[in-house]
This record gives sequence, structure tokens and C-alpha cells, in this order.
Amino acid sequence: MTRRDRALVTARRGSVLTVIALLGLVGVYVRALAFTPVERTQGLAQKIFYVHAPVAWAALLAFGICGLLSLLYLVLRDRKLDLLAAASAEVGVAFGLVMLITGPLWGKPVWGTWWTWDARLTSTLFTFLLFVGYLVLRGALTDFEVRARFSAVLGVMALVLVPFIHVTVYWFRTLHPDPVVLKPEAPSLPNVMLVTLLTSMAVCTLLYVGFLMQRYGLEVLRDVHEEEAAGGIS
Amino acid sequence: MEYPENGVYMVAAYIATAVIILGYAGLLFRALRRYWKR
Repeated sequence: MTRRDRALVTARRGSVLTVIALLGLVGVYVRALAFTPVERTQGLAQKIFYVHAPVAWAALLAFGICGLLSLLYLVLRDRKLDLLAAASAEVGVAFGLVMLITGPLWGKPVWGTWWTWDARLTSTLFTFLLFVGYLVLRGALTDFEVRARFSAVLGVMALVLVPFIHVTVYWFRTLHPDPVVLKPEAPSLPNVMLVTLLTSMAVCTLLYVGFLMQRYGLEVLRDVHEEEAAGGIS
Repeated sequence: MEYPENGVYMVAAYIATAVIILGYAGLLFRALRRYWKR
């Protein structure tokens, strides 16, 4: 099996996972909107939580994995690690965009403002823009080694920023609520809401894996195509 | 029970999520189909 065939198979499997995850997302919408009770003080706007928090989780997972793969690339110099890191960064930016749109839509009715420059929101926006820059940088460089090394150095920043974003709500005064699941104590939500949240988090994780496999397959296919083109010229 | 009337924000957030996620999935499917046809 050639490298091209393997990449196509990976991307194809990713497509199947993505379709399953999208069906799961439909299920999450139905459960969140029709079968999860309305929170008394925040009203219907609280239901934004069931998409905002899981999507934020997927975005930070994607950035964190990109950071880890970038670090491994700098040590091992394996081409696959760079392509996988790039795929994870792009998927993270897609989830990050959803996070940054749904967050203010929840903030406006609950906090009375679309945005506030506190530690959690500012560091999240900074990380998102860092990864937009990561993708722009990759697009601007043509030499594989230079592109991989430069973007890996930028990607490693996620290993510092992602844990920092998580602890900002403890270290600084912020409007953003504390974590309800990712904390040492038991989750602070009624069971019916917790099940909806955890289902949504599982679906977003599956969606991340599906997108990642597809994007990685496409990155490898593009890499093969560039190699063939370079071989044809020389 | 009385709730604050803010359902429009919820609808906007759910629509925005669906548009971005489906849009990105569509871009990936289309790019993959292009390679598959080569």
C-alpha cells in the first residue's frame, strides 16, 4: 500500500467517524433543547452551556495535542508528527471559532456584556489568535523543514497556554464560571444536565478525532502531491 | 415557572455552532472527494 493509499484510508475512516459524530450532535441538540430542563435564573440562555463548554474542551484539546506533537517533532524530527500537529491546529481553530462566538452569546444575557477583558477570555482569545498565526505561518513557508521547525516552535506555546487558561478562573478574578466537570471535586450539576453535558463532550471529542483523521489524511495527500511535483521538476 | 426571556441568544448560538461545524465538515468532505477522484 502506497503512502497516498494509506492517507486516503485514514481520511476515509475520519469521514465515517465525522458522520457518526454529526449524527451524535443532532442527538445532543434534541436532548439539550427538548429533554433538559430550563435553568431557573439564567433561563434558556443557560442551554448555550451544552455547546459552548464541550466545544471549548475540543478546541483546547486540539491545541494541547498540537503543542505535544510540536514538542515531539522538535525532538524526533518525524514528518508525520508535523503534519498531525498542523491538522490538530486547524481543527482547534474551527472549534475555537465556535467557542468565541457562543461565549459572548451566553455572556450578553447572563453577565450583561458581550465581552470583558478578564484573564480567562483574554488568554483564550490570545491562544486562538496564536493558532490562526500558526496556520498563516504554515501557509507562507514553502520549504518543508523550515515550515515544520518554525511552526513547531510556535505550537509548543500551547503546552503553556492551555493549562494556563484552565487555571485562570482560580488565579484571577473573572466573570467566567469555574469548571463544573474538570476539577478535583464531584461535578456541580444536577444529573440530567450533567448527562447532557457529558454526552456533548463525548460527541465533540469524537468530532475532533474524525476531523483530525480527515485533515491529517489531506495533509499527507498534499505532502505526497508536493513531493511528486518537486520530483517532476527536478 | 418564570424564566428570563433570552431564548434568542440560545437559538443564535445553536445555529452558529451548526453552521460552523457543518461548514468545516463540508470543506473537508469536498477536499477529500477531490483527491479521491484523482
